[in-house]
Amino acid sequence: MHALVAVDLHIIWQQVFHPHSVFFRTLWATVYISIISQAAGVLLGLLAALARMSRFAPLRWISGVYVWIFRGTPVLVQIFYIYFAFSWPTLHFGFWTVPDAAIAGIVALSINEGAYMREIIRAGIDSVDRGQMEAAKSVGMTYGMAMRRIILPQAARVIVPPLGNEFNNMMKTTSLVYTIGVFEMFAFAEQNYSQFFIADYFLAVAVWYLMLTTVWTFIQAYIERRLAVSERGDELSFRERLQAAWNPMTSWARGGGG
Amino acid sequence: MTGAEIVMHAEDVHKSFGRLEVLKGISLEVTKGETICIIGPSGSGKTTFLRCINHLEKIDSGRIEVNGHLIGYRQRGDRLVEDSERNIARQRTQIGMVFQRFNLFPHKTALENVTEGPIQVLDMEKRHAVDKAKMLLSRVGLADKVDTYPGKLSGGQQQRVAIARALAMEPALILFDEATSALDPEAIGDVLYIMGELAHEGMTMIVVTHEMGFAREAADRVVMMDDGLIIEEGTPEHFFVAPEHARTKLFLSKIL
Repeated sequence: MHALVAVDLHIIWQQVFHPHSVFFRTLWATVYISIISQAAGVLLGLLAALARMSRFAPLRWISGVYVWIFRGTPVLVQIFYIYFAFSWPTLHFGFWTVPDAAIAGIVALSINEGAYMREIIRAGIDSVDRGQMEAAKSVGMTYGMAMRRIILPQAARVIVPPLGNEFNNMMKTTSLVYTIGVFEMFAFAEQNYSQFFIADYFLAVAVWYLMLTTVWTFIQAYIERRLAVSERGDELSFRERLQAAWNPMTSWARGGGG
Repeated sequence: MTGAEIVMHAEDVHKSFGRLEVLKGISLEVTKGETICIIGPSGSGKTTFLRCINHLEKIDSGRIEVNGHLIGYRQRGDRLVEDSERNIARQRTQIGMVFQRFNLFPHKTALENVTEGPIQVLDMEKRHAVDKAKMLLSRVGLADKVDTYPGKLSGGQQQRVAIARALAMEPALILFDEATSALDPEAIGDVLYIMGELAHEGMTMIVVTHEMGFAREAADRVVMMDDGLIIEEGTPEHFFVAPEHARTKLFLSKIL
């Protein structure tokens, strides 16, 4: 019972403000796994979205099956299957080593994320007026060039807010790859717990996750503001975007204003 | 029209949307420097025909040529097969289009809207493209709006940017798809004035319009479409003074 109140402030203080280098290595693992998986997920999502809109039916089917499978099964199962069913190399980039488990984890998270990103990207592309593609074509652009220069930059305004939320989720979801032996932030807490049986390691790592997602909230608000600059006159200030990010009701209420 | 250079040649063009046949065999020839106004009731197929000319719509049969090149299709034996995307894109550089709803690129300034095609598609040097775009924008009366985004421009101003965007490609032919239908009366005058100037300067234009005043003043030929067919064509004098076809008379009596 006493565990409910007995937070060991020493552990929190030490792990949050004076972590040692082993911890930083695990923090770095969480960060790079999140960033690479999200980036690859966006790319896969884009390819799947384009395939979904293709005139070539088999591409549409492949895209459909992809989303069906990876949204319909637990990401943990996907991580385990991808890690154990294939053999993955350990990669070395100078001082930086990416172990095989981390590679498998990144691959699994990317593929899973791509399935969710497909819908987000498709909704973004759908939000762009059909006349934009026609105008682009009538100045002689090919489909690819029109997508790149005209459609996707406009779709980005719709894609970026949910993409930011996806990345926020991704940073937290990376903790699952600890189960296949990736030594990332959660694994660090788990290892210390099993050694000292002090639950406050989990609390400390929660604070670190919170810091990561909070920093991301600021970066996201900044990116969204930059994207809005070229929009008509109704761009939101940095502060307003932050408020909207904190409070879903704010952005909802503003929806009708235009 | 003796020996004049043919810019657009359409021959027995058919087009259906599902079971609805919207073009039932359109043949039309436009020579260099001509301004053709296509008039007719809504649903007569005017806009669809215009969109077939730059292959925004596929055609079911017949053929359309611009500057002697088959548009959108390649001849294979005695069949026509759809051309490659790259070739179609190249053909479209010769065919400007001005839309009813302007369709400016909202994430680009007026200037960038005009330079986008020349720089990206024609590989024109940026400095050159910018100079030219500024010249074209001042020509349509928007010299002071070069750095403005479309969202801050009025409808009439947007449409004038769209005309500059089409002109920047130096097309052989410009298609106007009800270019003034979405504008308020004052802006209509500005846009029609610019279109009239272009017509006078010898730009080859096909104009789908409900503006009979413009058709009378600027058109070399007026074409009346009804129910997917061209039912009458002739000079504006012929049309507005003594139309032959009963359907034309009825249409004009309603609209004038």
